[in-house]
Amino acid sequence: MRDRSRFAILRALIAGYAAVWTAVRAPALLDPLDYAARRLDPVGPLAFLDAPVADVFLVGAVIATPIAAALLALGCHERWSGPAAAIGFLFVTTYRNSWGQLFHTENLVALHLAVLALASFSPPTDDEDGRRWAVEAMAVLTVGTYFLAGVAKWRISGTAWLDGDVLRHQIAFDNARKEILGDTSSPFAGWLLRHGWLLGPAAVASVLVELAAPLALLRGRVAAVWCGLALLFHWAVLAFMAILFPYHLLGIGLAPLLPVERLGTTVAGWTGRFREASPTSTLPG
Amino acid sequence: MPRWFRLLLVGLAAAVVLSPLTRPPRSDTYPLSTYPMFASDRGALHDIATVVEVKADGSTVRLSPELIAGTDEVILAAVTVTRAVAGGQAEELCAEVASRLGEGRRARVQTERHDVVELVAEGAPPRSIDVHAECARA
Repeated sequence: MRDRSRFAILRALIAGYAAVWTAVRAPALLDPLDYAARRLDPVGPLAFLDAPVADVFLVGAVIATPIAAALLALGCHERWSGPAAAIGFLFVTTYRNSWGQLFHTENLVALHLAVLALASFSPPTDDEDGRRWAVEAMAVLTVGTYFLAGVAKWRISGTAWLDGDVLRHQIAFDNARKEILGDTSSPFAGWLLRHGWLLGPAAVASVLVELAAPLALLRGRVAAVWCGLALLFHWAVLAFMAILFPYHLLGIGLAPLLPVERLGTTVAGWTGRFREASPTSTLPG
Repeated sequence: MPRWFRLLLVGLAAAVVLSPLTRPPRSDTYPLSTYPMFASDRGALHDIATVVEVKADGSTVRLSPELIAGTDEVILAAVTVTRAVAGGQAEELCAEVASRLGEGRRARVQTERHDVVELVAEGAPPRSIDVHAECARA
């Protein structure tokens, strides 16, 4: 029963996040309606496009995706809401990435939704094996993305990444670009750059967290400690680069590694205590 | 579900997410990224293209990504300006921004050379400015 409830809570968290994100970001997802066709630079599953998609198609996808994701989060009609949410999310985010700039904040959401979509065809059972594969697959996807980010630093910059200069230039460039293009930059970046000795240890720590991600598959305390360090990493990125990874910052991206089914037990416990304390619960009949 | 089948599915997930390792590290795509975004040394000196508003007294004011490129995503705005300058379309971009600014206001497409560490740490001014186009709403 444990893994089935873990699956259900993960489905609610991940699909719920996708529903809220696509609803809140709908205006940005519709921005391409106003872009000049010359700016189209299709990527990933939309690499075949040689012209923008029809406006009505984009509008339909932006409307349908949060609805499908909300239904999936609630566990309603998951045989169609699962695939619809996964395909819709993949489409609207890929299309948003097809105008000259790749964003890296929704990759893990898209991958987790794909697993939820596949799992929707797997019959729910009351034993531990029911959808355990999906929980484990999502955990592997989470650690895989962090591990890849760490490996990329080694593949591209080697040990040079560790002395802090690469990090100094990344933080400075990202904040400078925000200032020059009229966006909000980090109020702490200047302070960090003036205390440059901090950047070497910060660079080593960030690569270690990324490369150590597979250890979190050991579960238990190891996973909890690693998730805590990963959260700290994302808060530091937000503080010093003003870059928001909401899926990770909220802990949802890390949730497949944690015993989230206890969240349900805790909430049920609170609800029970509230009912016991409520005067209406003592009324007869 | 048999254990071997469960392990096969989990192994497939691992193969999919790690598949970018078979590509060159800078060969990025979505959703299977190589995550190269913070991996390379960008250096301190940068030419950053932008669009500013020019006031009547000649001073300049920074514009938002929304006014520059019709988006709230700063990176997308940066790419839009860089591509317009590189592709010889600075005049067209200038006209687009001026139309968003409205009557009587002037836009200027320019590339600023900065030491980005000095800019962020000390607020240093640009080392040079290269103007590509300046216009008002037609």
